[in-house]
Amino acid sequence: MPTLPSLPARVLRALLPFAERDEVLADVSAEYGERLRAEGAWAAGWWVWRQVAASVPPLLRRTFWRGMTGFEPRANSLSPGGPFMESWIIDLRFALRRLRRRPQYAALAISTLALGVGGAAAMATIVRSLVLKPLPYAAEHELGHFWFPGSWSESEHLYIRAEYPGFGKVAAWRHEGVIFQPPQRAARLLPAVSASAELFDVLGRGAHLGRVFQAGDDLVNAAPVAVLSHGLWRELGGDRSIVGRTLRLDGVERTVVGVMPPGFWFPDPTVRLWVSEALDPDNRSGNYTLLGRVAPGVTIGGLGPHLARLTARLGERYDYPPQWDKTVNPEVTPLREALLGPMRPALLATLAAMGMILLIACANVAALMLGQVEGRATELAVRAAVGAERGRLLQQVVAEAALLGLGAGVAGGAVAAAAFRLLVGSLPLGAWAEGASPDWTVFAAAMLTATGASLAIALVPVLSLVRGDLRGTLATLRTSGVGVRGGRLESALVVAEVALAVVMAAGAALLVRSVHNLYAIDPGVRVEGLAVVDVALPSETTGPERHRLLRELRAELARLPGATAAATTEKLPLRGNGNSTLIEVEGRADLGRTTTFFRTVSTGYLEAIGMPLRAGRLFTDADRGLEPPPQGGEMPIVVNEALAARYFPGEDPVGRIVGGIGMRERIVGVVGTAAEGDLTDPPAPARYWLVDHMDVPSQDQTFVVRAAPGLDPEALLEPARRVLQQRVSAMAIQEMTTMDLVLAQAVGPARQVMLLLGLLTTLAVVLGAVGVYGVISHFVLRRRREWAIRLALGLGPTQVVGNVLQRGARLVGGGIAIGVGSAAALARLVDALLYGVGPGDPLALAAAAAVLLLVGVLAALLPAWRASRTPPGLLLRDV
Amino acid sequence: MGEARSIGSFEEQVMLGVLRTSGDAYGMAIRRELERVTGREVAIGAVYATLDRLESKGLVSSARTDGGSRRVFQLTRSGLRALGETRDARDRLWSGIDLATPGLAVRRT
Repeated sequence: MPTLPSLPARVLRALLPFAERDEVLADVSAEYGERLRAEGAWAAGWWVWRQVAASVPPLLRRTFWRGMTGFEPRANSLSPGGPFMESWIIDLRFALRRLRRRPQYAALAISTLALGVGGAAAMATIVRSLVLKPLPYAAEHELGHFWFPGSWSESEHLYIRAEYPGFGKVAAWRHEGVIFQPPQRAARLLPAVSASAELFDVLGRGAHLGRVFQAGDDLVNAAPVAVLSHGLWRELGGDRSIVGRTLRLDGVERTVVGVMPPGFWFPDPTVRLWVSEALDPDNRSGNYTLLGRVAPGVTIGGLGPHLARLTARLGERYDYPPQWDKTVNPEVTPLREALLGPMRPALLATLAAMGMILLIACANVAALMLGQVEGRATELAVRAAVGAERGRLLQQVVAEAALLGLGAGVAGGAVAAAAFRLLVGSLPLGAWAEGASPDWTVFAAAMLTATGASLAIALVPVLSLVRGDLRGTLATLRTSGVGVRGGRLESALVVAEVALAVVMAAGAALLVRSVHNLYAIDPGVRVEGLAVVDVALPSETTGPERHRLLRELRAELARLPGATAAATTEKLPLRGNGNSTLIEVEGRADLGRTTTFFRTVSTGYLEAIGMPLRAGRLFTDADRGLEPPPQGGEMPIVVNEALAARYFPGEDPVGRIVGGIGMRERIVGVVGTAAEGDLTDPPAPARYWLVDHMDVPSQDQTFVVRAAPGLDPEALLEPARRVLQQRVSAMAIQEMTTMDLVLAQAVGPARQVMLLLGLLTTLAVVLGAVGVYGVISHFVLRRRREWAIRLALGLGPTQVVGNVLQRGARLVGGGIAIGVGSAAALARLVDALLYGVGPGDPLALAAAAAVLLLVGVLAALLPAWRASRTPPGLLLRDV
Repeated sequence: MGEARSIGSFEEQVMLGVLRTSGDAYGMAIRRELERVTGREVAIGAVYATLDRLESKGLVSSARTDGGSRRVFQLTRSGLRALGETRDARDRLWSGIDLATPGLAVRRT
């Protein structure tokens, strides 16, 4: 008779009714043989597999239904499934009963595991959606951002536009907030991107409705157009007839030409619409980023020679100051890295921390299970002695782990959903945090992680059973089944836990040090007690109207109860570089072309923000004049110490003339250097101009309001908003914050990751302490008789405590040694977030070690004390 | 009359298969008979799972044949009744339906 292929035969054999399986298989084989003769080997094999595939689901369903409900007679040898399935069902039910009888153990194991599983699953989902998901553009590997992002001009783009060497097409884009005033509602600011016509061609995406930008949309005389995001379109009513209608944006009537498909975003998900920019060949203000798609056959890595040609052409036309020289070191960053790269260190560090928590949780639960198995040593030994197969005993352990994993998966899913929100809120994700919401993948990830974790956990007690000598255990029956030796595996687990906790604590300590260093930097302004309101003035207003508005609003804000002063600036310190312009110093032709920051501020701004006066005087009302000085006229300016040191070394700059914008700027005062760029930048030269001297003040203005001493500046924000919006209904408030928060923002991701990692480390240390406590408790329990004997023979209780503590310290010490070693290697994960401290910082490592040692010894104290109180009478009773 | 046991269509087919192969109604024979009559492939596992379920519902019973070790199934009294009720219900549903003229299918009498 022909034999069936072995795998299908084995599957059927396992699932068919036990008593008849041989006959049924013989029947199947017979039919297989007939088909073999009639149809050939391939068709017959295919038939067998179809039979198996269609047989497994109903048989499994039937078996489980029978086994689990208990409504029907138990599985027996005449029912499908046979003894194999039956034994699993029995073991699962047995495990369930055992767990129900030990609710504390079950709850502790499941909740520990759920914590680890939930955190890891949530973090994995975040990383997956941010790092692993493809960007919503065609062939994203062909896309890249040019060097010096945010500093290219319309002039430059138009100059090379016809042929960017090495690129198919290149688009220029910049962020822009556009004021949108829906009828009968307050004006609001929509995050938008203003771009050249190539943008969507470069990204390689078409519109959901209507069209995207097309060539000619960015000409000076072209009708302004806008493309809406799917979200904005839905918000505006989701009407398909919107294409072709106009929207009033920033005072300009723009024709909506298209709506993008759902899921499309650029450059981040908060941007609601894209507007065409009328490109002016004479506009040299550099605030664009260039985005290019490489030409066919060219890769981003292989752009070198093309970029050399590109920079040569730029050099022919433009004359760059050294610090902004675009012709040196050209580099194109792959778009994915440009958009998501800044988040990576924080994400990876947190993911690693979550992974460690999961490992610690697994180790804890494994140690718990091991304790359970050891507690059952007598039972297991007796069962083995009366003939239980070892495989069956292992199966029971695996069944218990599987149930714990199932529970942890369900609970972990809930934890993951909560952790997801917590993580998204506390990770430095910026614009990405919006729109991130947990979906089914979180639960899938939790379930998957829990399954994997429970199997890994089961391995530990299985290993101890396989290696252990069950029959030998019977010999210790006299001592209540508790041997003196053992617990080595358990100890190894705790050592590993402590090591992981040390690594995390070291990482957290490094971040604490970094953040401390960052806060120790003097930003050069008085950060506390300052309310900050960013606004966009109505775009229809003329220069004189804006001057008047700013003056009146300043006066009104200064009159708010609790406010002592109010002023405006176009850009606050600590918020990135902002504007720079040329500087020329009379009699210093040797300086060449060089630029400094400039900030356009109101009178009272330097005092309000707390920049200390070093020489000369600050602006006064007398400096204002009624209108801007004529071209070629003279205007008073204030400079900072960095500028004085750089351009007037050893001289008094007060009274000197500098220039660069076609006007003579007379320095009237010097203030201390504030961090006008980023917090960690070296001191940068800056000039302060009076806003009253500008023809048209910029649309974007920041009001600062100094609160009276002892008053929370946040209390001023709401009244300030009311004043501003009552006065000018078309004014859009962009952000209301305080200078403290601006500084926190400037300290950046390190602070946010520090808080998160601090939280996770606390969790890790607590779990580690629970582990130490558990192992030492077992250790004490195992040696109860020994303590009893020793105490009976006169050993002092303090010596017993010392003995046990020593044991705990040895475990923790081992863990610390391993942890410190690996921490130095793993600190590279947070390297990108560190400031002023190296990854191998001895102070951080020592702090981590000390915390773990302290916590470990404390955790061992309770069991040690219990050991010292072992009644010597135990010895007599138990024999 | 006791409550009618509702039976699914595959259960009904298996029960009819038991009747059609009566005397020699073991799993594989029932499977072959179903395949022969319906022209569709039937999995042996599905047949055994269904037979087991029917047996626990008390609609079929099984016994070993005298000579062989095969388990042979036969319908119980309530199995026969359930099958009959299913058929009656179906006949009532079909009565008056003429598939040849679908638009005017139902003649009210």
